[in-house]
Amino acid sequence: MEILANLVNVALIVAMLRTTAPILLVALGGSFTTKAGIFNIGLEGQMLVGAFFAVLGSIWSGSAFVGVVCGVAAALVFALIFAVLVVSFRANEVVVGLALNILAGGMTISMMKAIFGTRGSIVGQGIVGLPKVQIPGAKALLGSWAPLISGYTPMVYVAFLAVPLLILFYKRTRLGLYIRVVGEKPEAAEALGISITRIRYIASLLCGLLAGLAGAHLSLGYITMFTENMSSGRGFMAVAILIFSNGDPFKVLAGCLLFGFADAFSLRLQTFGFPSYLILAVPYLVALAALFALSYRSRPKIIRETVETMRRLLAAEKTPAAEPEKTLPR
Amino acid sequence: MSDRLRAFYGQVVAVAVALAIGAIIILMVDESPAKVFVTLVRGAFGDQAKIAGTLLQTTPILICGVAACVGLRGGMFNVGIEGQLFLGGFAAALVGFALPLPSGLHMIVALVVAVLAGAAWVSIPAYFRTRYNTNEVVSTILSNYVAVLLTSYFTIFLFKRPGGWSETPPILPSAYLPEIFSFSRLNWGLVVGLVLAVAVAWLFRHTARGYSASMVGSAPKFAEYGGIDVKRQGFIVLLASGAIGGLAGGVETLGVHHRFMEGFAPGFGFDGLIAALLANGSPIGTIFTALFFGALRSGSLLLEVDTNASREIITVIQALIILSVSAQVLMKRRGDSTAGERRWKF
Repeated sequence: MEILANLVNVALIVAMLRTTAPILLVALGGSFTTKAGIFNIGLEGQMLVGAFFAVLGSIWSGSAFVGVVCGVAAALVFALIFAVLVVSFRANEVVVGLALNILAGGMTISMMKAIFGTRGSIVGQGIVGLPKVQIPGAKALLGSWAPLISGYTPMVYVAFLAVPLLILFYKRTRLGLYIRVVGEKPEAAEALGISITRIRYIASLLCGLLAGLAGAHLSLGYITMFTENMSSGRGFMAVAILIFSNGDPFKVLAGCLLFGFADAFSLRLQTFGFPSYLILAVPYLVALAALFALSYRSRPKIIRETVETMRRLLAAEKTPAAEPEKTLPR
Repeated sequence: MSDRLRAFYGQVVAVAVALAIGAIIILMVDESPAKVFVTLVRGAFGDQAKIAGTLLQTTPILICGVAACVGLRGGMFNVGIEGQLFLGGFAAALVGFALPLPSGLHMIVALVVAVLAGAAWVSIPAYFRTRYNTNEVVSTILSNYVAVLLTSYFTIFLFKRPGGWSETPPILPSAYLPEIFSFSRLNWGLVVGLVLAVAVAWLFRHTARGYSASMVGSAPKFAEYGGIDVKRQGFIVLLASGAIGGLAGGVETLGVHHRFMEGFAPGFGFDGLIAALLANGSPIGTIFTALFFGALRSGSLLLEVDTNASREIITVIQALIILSVSAQVLMKRRGDSTAGERRWKF
């Protein structure tokens, strides 16, 4: 009985990591634009075209890899349009992002009808999905816990490896620093001779790259199909995460794991006979709750001051002589 | 006046550019653009019934558009009109079938409840937006998904019509919005929308409340120095916008479907937002842009029958219109510097 419970736990964690991957990828993509000071509500659309063109590419070439490349290319095109309008033309980022999302939805459905003559979804038709990666030695090392690290599709590994890479990118590379400067103090960037336009273009395209991977994972990962609006708000959840994480990769990871857990857990609840409509609403409710609860960066001054005084008091109790503020990054 | 004329030209150019790109896309999906456009026009204005059908589609887009205008003018991006529409539609249906009242009064009570439902649904994002500065775009978008799922749940698990499929029982005839013509489902909802658009335009132009709301939208700092309670004003604006969104749902339920059903108003909220953006936040302008989008929608029904193009091609065209409107602001700004100081950066 204990073993069974254990297995169920492992399965839940595995499911959580799996459902976390796409939203983590797209949110990490959004972290580039967030850090560069762009509010990118167009993630949803980039992800959707990524998913659609990944399926197209996969059918056309018979290779999942080419499919991923096609998906990423499509997302990059959307990211480029976004950048041209928002960075060069200084259009409102919310308007452009929303319009691109609507465009993505309409375009994929129109093309689906034109190419496949169907509405709703593309299933079968020779879609090649991404293979599962078996890590050698995982079974010997972890036994029944092996599924925790082995047997995912490649994008899951890409997503989780991207977190430390992005932390290093922002901390240790010139481009990472430039992106942060452009986002936090554009005037300083300008004074230093950094081209804000160029950096924002780069950030947008990097965002499109990861959003495209996320889309490809949706349609070629665990299920190999495309359905109308299959990104189903994940891009918006990613934006919610980005707002309260401020684009910091580690906080993004934490937020995405919360969603992955909500997703995996709600799927499990469904098997217990809870009405599916309510279950389906759970991830959105979690996103809203997190957004509301964590928007404390801009809480009214009084509350913020109270919290800060309390923190200082608590810190003082623990380490009376230390200066805790200074050791914190930024 | 010349400024306004130039803005109008800008919108026309934007629409033309969007239609041109749309034509290229139609070519790409192996269909003749001319045939598609002719079919669209024929489907929208081909005969008496088709024109009435266009006006029928225009109604919810217009009301949602006015809701969006209120938000835009007050500096709030209410992207949750879709959700408010669903809640309002459901609430109106609930009153319509469960609460027998005398004719006329019944309809008014149902509409009022729809308005309240829309306002209530937006009140949480509005509270957090104005008190904690939580981004209202994201919170209202996410609440759309919840609204659609929640109303579906209510409909299917709590109030399903016996023997029916994911719809509530029909509302009582005493709550119907009366039809204008005998040959169409077109109803007095259109008049409600028109009156509302004019009323909101008047409110913004001629009343102190409207003035302070648009002041908060265009120059919040200035408004604050001027002694306006900016937070309170923002809250009221979002609440009003949500209330009108709820009204749109109520009108749709009481005037057209006479029941609430799953997916009863797909995308009207977004169409309304786009119409309002194209009209630059002017309620009167929204009457015309809503008519334009209503015609596109109505025409697209025939599109699916007569051509290979899917009706979502009009969604593509709408998105392209907004993209080209947003793109050409820079050109305008280059021309003269004052044109750049617009209420909200487009």
